[in-house]
Amino acid sequence: MLQIEGFRRFRQKGPGQMKMMKVQGKSSLSVMGRNTAAAACAIALLGGIPAAHAADPLQPDPELEAVTLPAPKPSWVFVERGFVMPGNAIYDTDTGKMLGLIESSNLSDLALDPAGKAFYVSESIWTKGWRGTRQDMITVYDSATLKLKSEITMPGRILIGGRKFNFVIADAGKTAYVYNLDPASSVNVIDMVKGKFLKKIELPGCASLMPVTGVGFSALCSDGSLATVKVAATKPEITRSAPFFSATNDPIFDNFGYDGAKQEAVFLTYTGQVYTAKLGATPTISEPFSIQAAAGVSPADTKPLDVHWYPGARQGLAYHLGTGHAFVLMHTGEYWTHKAPGTEVWELDVAAKKVVKRIPLEDPAEEIAVTQEPNAKLVLAGESGTLLILDAKTGEEKFKLEKSAGGVLRTLEP
Amino acid sequence: MKTFNPDAMGEKLLRRFAGGTSRRGILARLGLALVAAPVFPVLPVSRASAAKPDRSPEAKTTFARNAQSKDDTKCDYWRYCAIDGSLCSCCGGAVNRCPPGAEHSPVSWVGTCINPDDGRAYLIAYRDCCGKAYCNKCDCDGTDRETQLYVPQLNNDVIWCFGTTSMEYHCSTAVLVGTA
Repeated sequence: MLQIEGFRRFRQKGPGQMKMMKVQGKSSLSVMGRNTAAAACAIALLGGIPAAHAADPLQPDPELEAVTLPAPKPSWVFVERGFVMPGNAIYDTDTGKMLGLIESSNLSDLALDPAGKAFYVSESIWTKGWRGTRQDMITVYDSATLKLKSEITMPGRILIGGRKFNFVIADAGKTAYVYNLDPASSVNVIDMVKGKFLKKIELPGCASLMPVTGVGFSALCSDGSLATVKVAATKPEITRSAPFFSATNDPIFDNFGYDGAKQEAVFLTYTGQVYTAKLGATPTISEPFSIQAAAGVSPADTKPLDVHWYPGARQGLAYHLGTGHAFVLMHTGEYWTHKAPGTEVWELDVAAKKVVKRIPLEDPAEEIAVTQEPNAKLVLAGESGTLLILDAKTGEEKFKLEKSAGGVLRTLEP
Repeated sequence: MKTFNPDAMGEKLLRRFAGGTSRRGILARLGLALVAAPVFPVLPVSRASAAKPDRSPEAKTTFARNAQSKDDTKCDYWRYCAIDGSLCSCCGGAVNRCPPGAEHSPVSWVGTCINPDDGRAYLIAYRDCCGKAYCNKCDCDGTDRETQLYVPQLNNDVIWCFGTTSMEYHCSTAVLVGTA
């Protein structure tokens, strides 16, 4: 009881009183120790535990210091905690343990420094909570201590959440692109070395940014084209591919697959058409194929009352860069059910145009990610809030973490 | 089949918008942005076929086949075919009005929903109510003709609290604009 009383007062008083309270704490420990020793002696006299063993008191805790993290590992997954729950939680898929929380406000976007030194949060806050003056920034956190390092001020950004491609890092960490909708569409270009906003590029009718090495970025557009923006030019040049998909009748999911090293993207439409794009100043886009046909089932269409397997969910595609396999959340239903959670994971060998495995899920999943390890693991955020970690090769369950899912999942990319 | 008439939809939406708002600079800019963005030309268009729309069950989405017109506090209420978020009708407001103290966003995403009573398609403006914490009651997610971020006016995940005092999302209304 003395200990508890001491703790209470410790919490209530300011820092100047801490030492005194600690002394009290020690004192209370030793009082308790004496009591314990007396009780142990009594037990020993009755033929119980040897008195010498019980006489060693517990040592007081050392000075308190926050835990620090090792360099980020490919086995880590970063979990947005949801629409009204701020923060990105870090879990290690090797141990199933939560390692820490990256501070980040509601509707923010996380990006990872390729050098592993920092975590970046693109966020919007106001001087009086949700009132007052709006402030948009990239907040930089040290990856070891998770403490604030700096803030990079920028003009506005979109408030949406749940998207991977509204905040992307390019040029091996030197540049960041941040998508904005106010409700005109534009992109902020930020120099991450100098920590400085450079310019804003108008991008009418396009969104979801893919860095293009030596050029700038590409984005999907409402006319069904892929726009490519040359950023370095004084007046940024925007060119568009020929339209290749219907943005309103069979849209491409804006959480797609992206391989920065190979400069490739894997696009999936609501009906399950798969396109691959080779990015560059003049991107080339493949003919599509049906993921359902690749699995040996009937291809889906847009007609009401036709029930098929459809891709869906909020983050329904994860791309393993080493193997070129996409893991897609699938469900059965009619068209316009594109937000329905996945009841199966389909592993698609994109180059071979073949679904090589189907994994049924007990808890339908809203989001999916894959670790970029050779022995990859799948991370699935269930409707129930459970985070499920599976061996991607065997489908074997590694960990099931309750109350751990929420929003978008991110993993480290080589 | 004439499912959408984007020109009429655009005209109605903008006329309603212009009639109900002042000419303050911010709103003028928002209106300009709406017009300037390649919005209406990319809405789903089927101009070529017959004037009489097909409203048979075979032509309706799952949502439209099961929609009702009696209870606007339920997700299957017909106007909610492309809504996302808390229903303002469950949060102290109404299907087309904000709860006390919340502020209507002057702009919105839109949906085209079929009224089960008359079989007509109507343009619905989903105007967010802003300036209060997330209501978190009667959460619905209608996805008829809902698309992705590169067509923002048809995407229901965007926080549409533009031009309001606060961008904090509270709930969503479903305002009837007119026949589609």
